[in-house]
Amino acid sequence: MSLDTTPPPAGVPSDLPTGPPARTPSPSAVTKELIAKAGATRRRKAAQWKLRIGAVCTLIVIIPILLAQLLPLPDANHQDLSARRLAPLMDGHFFGTDQLGRDLLSRVLHGGQVSLTIGVLAVVVSGAIGIILGAAAGYFGGWVDTVVSRVLEAQMSLPLLMMLLLVVALFGPSIPVITFVIAIAQWPEVARLTRSMVLVEREKPYVSAARILGLHRIQILIQHIIPNVIKQATLVVLLLLAQAVLLESALSFLGAGPQRPFATWGRIISDGQDYITTSWWMVTLPGLVIVLMVVGVNLLGDGLRDRPRRKKKGA
Amino acid sequence: MTNYILKRLGQGLLTVFLTVSTVFILVRLAPGDPAVSYAGPLATTEQLAKVREQFGLDRPVLEQYWIFLQQLFTGNLGTSYSFQAPAMQVVAERMPYTLTLATASILLTAVVAIPLGVWMSRRPDTNRELGVNVLTIAGQSMPDFWTGIMLLTGFAVLIPLFPASGFATWGGLVLPTITIAILQIALISRMVRREMTANFAAPFLTVARSRGVRNSVLTWRYAMGNSAIPVFTALGTRFAAMLNGVVVVEVVFAWPGVGSLIVRALETRDYPLIQATVLLTALLAVAVQLVIDLAYPLLDPRVRLGKAATA
Repeated sequence: MSLDTTPPPAGVPSDLPTGPPARTPSPSAVTKELIAKAGATRRRKAAQWKLRIGAVCTLIVIIPILLAQLLPLPDANHQDLSARRLAPLMDGHFFGTDQLGRDLLSRVLHGGQVSLTIGVLAVVVSGAIGIILGAAAGYFGGWVDTVVSRVLEAQMSLPLLMMLLLVVALFGPSIPVITFVIAIAQWPEVARLTRSMVLVEREKPYVSAARILGLHRIQILIQHIIPNVIKQATLVVLLLLAQAVLLESALSFLGAGPQRPFATWGRIISDGQDYITTSWWMVTLPGLVIVLMVVGVNLLGDGLRDRPRRKKKGA
Repeated sequence: MTNYILKRLGQGLLTVFLTVSTVFILVRLAPGDPAVSYAGPLATTEQLAKVREQFGLDRPVLEQYWIFLQQLFTGNLGTSYSFQAPAMQVVAERMPYTLTLATASILLTAVVAIPLGVWMSRRPDTNRELGVNVLTIAGQSMPDFWTGIMLLTGFAVLIPLFPASGFATWGGLVLPTITIAILQIALISRMVRREMTANFAAPFLTVARSRGVRNSVLTWRYAMGNSAIPVFTALGTRFAAMLNGVVVVEVVFAWPGVGSLIVRALETRDYPLIQATVLLTALLAVAVQLVIDLAYPLLDPRVRLGKAATA
């Protein structure tokens, strides 16, 4: 209650010495307790917790997915009609079985391999396109900037999911098409951010210095400017991974995902939808796996962003 | 002012035109024959030829495009293959349902997300704020189709409070609206918090506080007043995006809107219907964007359209 009246101005408490303990005849009224209660300290702690919990959530999902082939699980497509719709934990099926008696955990993990592959590929592609085009637009300005910015604007006012569905429906739901489609959907975000950061960066003295030294403009951009913005850009890319996984699952839920026998997350849920009243686990558990992973990635991204940056020397 | 509106209108119409042209090209580039999906797999070659002639599919693509453009400007996009009715009419009949759902969702979002974001910004770095913060992260991490099915099972099947699908009664609006709003509330409230936190740290607020301005005035008039434009823009953009069909949620709840229509049109390769849907939804989205732009001077008297307005 008392905290909300005067939030301490950002930055001030973080300059306080946190390391050395207050000596007995302390010249300062700032005690260790006060520092521990300060907003900046809490923020740092919150960021650390977000990072930790995010890492745990992500790893809980990703490690089993990566090890899916090594784990002692039944084959993802092995049908056993005598073991249809077994509840979780029955007969050694940790997540139960689906309407064809396939082991749900195995399907979720193998589906996760497909979903994650698509997500990672899409994010790499969109990150590359976004950073290159955004940096070019920000650095060169002029017609390059006009073209890139117009395309960005146009795409943002396009009916996105509709266009994605259209492309997938027309060109067939193969993994390259879906990856490409998700990458196209996501590049504007990276491009906009990179562009705005490069706009700031190109006015800095080191760029003029490099230019006076006779470096080529492209060399300045690639060797000096991009390394300065890449860290923040990759942070956004991490958050886009979460979105890519969600987008892929939405596409495959609508039937526009990779086709059978691939068991993607969206399809597993869409298949289970018909049995929701009798077999709750077929929808609930795969959904929880998605949520756990996406929450993990988002927490990681949030924590990394909130983490106080160490000051660079001479920057 | 008039110049500004005309310029924006021109830009908007250009976007719409490019969109429908892109769709036209994509549709023609794609493999698959709409005549086959129309006439069925058992059709003879003669029947297929007749179908192609009927819909003008036997002509050169450029001529088709020319006809398409003529149709575009007369507002007649041809007959839907699967509904056997003018495509524009089919889409227009579905539009009110999508509009209802989108309006309800954006209202719920605004009513919840703005106070929530303000609440968070006024208690930075407290445990409660951290808790809500994590909740909003969870909110934006749930696939909407999954949330939809969960709500459907919980509140329509297990506890039959609301109808499970369609839009027979107003109760049918509740679950889809909540499904959409969960994600939007998460996104918008985080944005409100960000904007408000920045304003709370601004010097003018410190000055106002030192002059003894009341806390509620500080929050709502000073800080919110300066956050109004970005927040309003975000809400408007979200709303415009929803008009393009809240596809997934409409499919989950069998909502008779544009989103579920486009899924069906794509399955049957119903070219005129696809075109009509894209055209109408893009037009609406552009109109909404224009309204948002024009509302800026109302929200912030410093804004003069056309002069100070920057992208």
